[in-house]
Amino acid sequence: MILPMRRSTPLHNFVASVAVLAAATACAFGSELAAQQAPVMDRSMFSDPRGPYLGEAEVKRTAGRFPFYWTRAMYSGGGFRRGSWAVDFPKSDQQFLIVIKRLVRLNAYDWENPVGLWDPDLRKFPLIYMLEVGGMYLTDEEVVGLRGYMEAGGFVIVDDFWGGRQWDNFLWNMRRVFPDRTIVDIDLDHPVYSAYYNIDEVIQVPAIGNTYRTAECAGCYPQVKGMYDDDGRLMMMINFNTDLGDAWEWAEQPSYPLEYSTYAYQLGANMIVYAMSH
Amino acid sequence: MQGIFEFLFKYRPLVFEQGEFAFAAPLSVRTWLIVVGLIAAGAVATYTIARGKSSVVDRGVMAALRVGLLAVLVFCLMQPALTLSTVVPQQNFVGILMDDSRSMQLADEDGTVRSSFFAEQFTRGESPLIQALSERFVLRFFRFSDVARRVDGLEEMTFDGTHTNIANALDVARGELSGVPLSGLVVVTDGADTGERPLTEAIVPLQAAGVPVFTVGLGDETLEPDIELGRVELPRTALQGSTLMVDVVVTQSGFSRGSTVPVIVEDDTRILAEESVELGPAGEPVVTRIGIELQEPGARRVRFRIPGQPGERVERNNARNAWIDVVGESEKILYFEGEPRWEVKFMRRAVADDENLQLVLLQRTAESKFLRLEVSDSTELEFGFPTTRQELYRYRALVIGSVEASFFTFDQLQMIADFVSERGGGLLFLGGLSSFAEGGWAGTPVEEVMPVILGPPAGEEGYFSEIDVTPTPAGFAHPAVQLDAEPADLRTRWEALPPLTVVNPINAVRPGATVLLTGSRSEGGEQIVLSYQRYGRGTSIALTAQDTWLWQMHSDVTLEDQSHESFWKQMLRWLVDGVPNPVLAVAGEEEVEPGESVELTASVRDSTFLDVNDATVTATVTSPSGLVEEVPLEWTVEEDGQYAAPFRPLELGDYEIQINAQRQEASLGTDVTYLHSAPSDREFFGAARRTQLLRRIADDTGGQFYTRDNVATLPEDITISGAGVTLVDELDLWDMPALFLLMLLLMGAEWGYRRIRGLV
Repeated sequence: MILPMRRSTPLHNFVASVAVLAAATACAFGSELAAQQAPVMDRSMFSDPRGPYLGEAEVKRTAGRFPFYWTRAMYSGGGFRRGSWAVDFPKSDQQFLIVIKRLVRLNAYDWENPVGLWDPDLRKFPLIYMLEVGGMYLTDEEVVGLRGYMEAGGFVIVDDFWGGRQWDNFLWNMRRVFPDRTIVDIDLDHPVYSAYYNIDEVIQVPAIGNTYRTAECAGCYPQVKGMYDDDGRLMMMINFNTDLGDAWEWAEQPSYPLEYSTYAYQLGANMIVYAMSH
Repeated sequence: MQGIFEFLFKYRPLVFEQGEFAFAAPLSVRTWLIVVGLIAAGAVATYTIARGKSSVVDRGVMAALRVGLLAVLVFCLMQPALTLSTVVPQQNFVGILMDDSRSMQLADEDGTVRSSFFAEQFTRGESPLIQALSERFVLRFFRFSDVARRVDGLEEMTFDGTHTNIANALDVARGELSGVPLSGLVVVTDGADTGERPLTEAIVPLQAAGVPVFTVGLGDETLEPDIELGRVELPRTALQGSTLMVDVVVTQSGFSRGSTVPVIVEDDTRILAEESVELGPAGEPVVTRIGIELQEPGARRVRFRIPGQPGERVERNNARNAWIDVVGESEKILYFEGEPRWEVKFMRRAVADDENLQLVLLQRTAESKFLRLEVSDSTELEFGFPTTRQELYRYRALVIGSVEASFFTFDQLQMIADFVSERGGGLLFLGGLSSFAEGGWAGTPVEEVMPVILGPPAGEEGYFSEIDVTPTPAGFAHPAVQLDAEPADLRTRWEALPPLTVVNPINAVRPGATVLLTGSRSEGGEQIVLSYQRYGRGTSIALTAQDTWLWQMHSDVTLEDQSHESFWKQMLRWLVDGVPNPVLAVAGEEEVEPGESVELTASVRDSTFLDVNDATVTATVTSPSGLVEEVPLEWTVEEDGQYAAPFRPLELGDYEIQINAQRQEASLGTDVTYLHSAPSDREFFGAARRTQLLRRIADDTGGQFYTRDNVATLPEDITISGAGVTLVDELDLWDMPALFLLMLLLMGAEWGYRRIRGLV
């Protein structure tokens, strides 16, 4: 169910103010929207409060230097250029980290961290973010990697896929990972909704160009589903018919409604705090 | 040797030790010296003056021999003598203390039972020893075991005492004979003292009173062949499902080194473990560690035993019993974490199925915002970290993760230190960006609780290193790092675990701390990974690694590998192990004989673990047949919070003792302990003759030590001990055969010299 959100909370105000910082960040990566409103700036033109960018190889080698890495899973499948895994990458990841570190006392690496599902180093990062899974086509190696990751205790956040066709594709891939596990709804009384913020409704978060109608397909309503292990522990949280990633990425945009980005950050904080404690 | 000495010098060495040398001749020594000098000078002059074919050397030798002969003669003329204080016959008392304990039933290697000594030597009218003693002294007999009392004759001896309390026996005899002239005490025993009082406490008053103690040692100094299960130590309580590593001490004599014997661990219903023990060199204790799993809740008596071996002299020292209360309830641990970290998730997962651990999480997720998990109710920790002792002391252990010291108030820091030292709780520090020196813990009241030494904090760049973790020798033997592996596989298991990372460089521990795990740093050098120390009543542990969750998540670890789960279960169980309750009940002995007194004690503290001296403390004792008896305990006065009362079980079997403490109608707490009433084998442990102990008692008091072989001189030795009513006696030495032989030797030597040199 899509429920309008018209509240003014301290978080609203905070997200709005953070948007100013995020705007500067957005400029640094040359997004089209940002380019229309501000001159293009490279990273060296302003003092970046973030920590050093280490590079993918160094991050894997020194994993542990930070307690938390916002890790994006790379997988095989359709999509433009690098593939669907890279949608919104890396701006969404960087902006999400800027904001989430202001909201939560999270000692996190400040930069994006893409790791392949096939990569043994994936296990060094117990939480991964995976989006646009409607176009994924996992290789056998990735299937094995994802299965082992989740069975060992890794937590997967899935986001930004819409409609029955994409769901079926995602489900088909998950059947290859866990043939016998079912995907069930995560109701609002689940502790993930109160791990940090108290969330009492599930909102459909639209993509940046779709804020006027939110849904990307007819009859698509937002759902939060999950997959549990044999001991009843949540190991995958699936945000279906919603696009949290765009809300994180475009929070600084005046055209992007604040209530959606606020909700997206609330849920993001909850998912991280929950995953790191349960 | 002593016979030769006595033949040559007329008296035994002891007489020379006790006596004072003197000349009995009326003239002064100086006068005699002048006479001797004159005679010697004359003798030398005759040799000097005389002329013949002798040389100067010949004359010198002969003069020296002649002068020596004259000197011996003059020595005799001076009437040398020994002055001795000897007792006046029948004016003095001698106390004879006879060991009446069970170890007297043991037989020596030649088959002689120890107790037979009393019948042989102390039967009036039959034994020369008792006759000689009776002629000189008034004798008083005492029997002693756990208690000592005067007896009239040997017929009162039972040799069934369960203790050998020599200190108590000396005290009793000294007390009873304090009003009479006492020439000495004779203690006849094997010396296998099982009393808890230091012997010095009994010896010092005897030294002050000048009463010598003569000890007679019975039994063989070594019992061969024999195996003894020397010591077993079990904690009072253990959590259900725990694996205890119990040290068992085995000593052997007369068996070949390296041979093995089984140690069987059993309770009333089943065998808990069985382990082969390799015997060490004769007389040297060998410590073996046996793991036992405690699956069923409830109190039980665990028996450790080695089956009797062929030809073994004493089989009743092959078993030990120990009580343990297996607690089925859940122990509450507070884990305070300063930021979201993966250690939280994976530690919680690791112990989630352990019904005996309640890991309460308080995690700071933002400034003044906390995530609480596993709390008992909505009010628990609702304002964050406890601010009162009452609130903190509800937990039995505390885990502090990556949180800077400045988060806490000074009072909270002091409270954390007191949690260990006063409450007796377990405290575990975890490595992390805000832990140890990097978290500003140096200089706080908590610093000295830590088993590790904090260096300067890492700079702004921080410290980071990968470490390969290895147990130390102490670690291999410690239950917390066993990973549920078979002992033979433990090293392999640890080597297979992936490396961890540290952000707190720590390479030293406090004196007295024990290191269980170390790590080789990627850049070289050693990191202290896991160490602990006792601090006050509790234990503090430091785990400096920050990501043990890698032992669960790492791609090198198979899904079947339970190392991470085992590690944390064992760590947290260790953390709560032995943490005391406010009220602690203890029976002085876990096993006693029916009728034997045992002291029930209770330590009573309030909810803030302050000692309470005005409590009403009662023990409710339930006998094996179900009879219930109330025993009030009194404050001991000597120590705060300590209450005690004697209790004497009369039935055979297990007694349950529940101690309740109240103050002003409010309950301070209860605790239960157990007591087993049965015939005791205590006397058969360490039952060989303890010559050193008995010799020490004699030496310290001016007495003598004897065995069966030389006890005949005892009456005469007491006579010259100088204690009691005495006379001064003079013993002539001039007629010692040694002097006569010396004179003959000197004369013969001169004559022989002349013959050889042709001077005759």
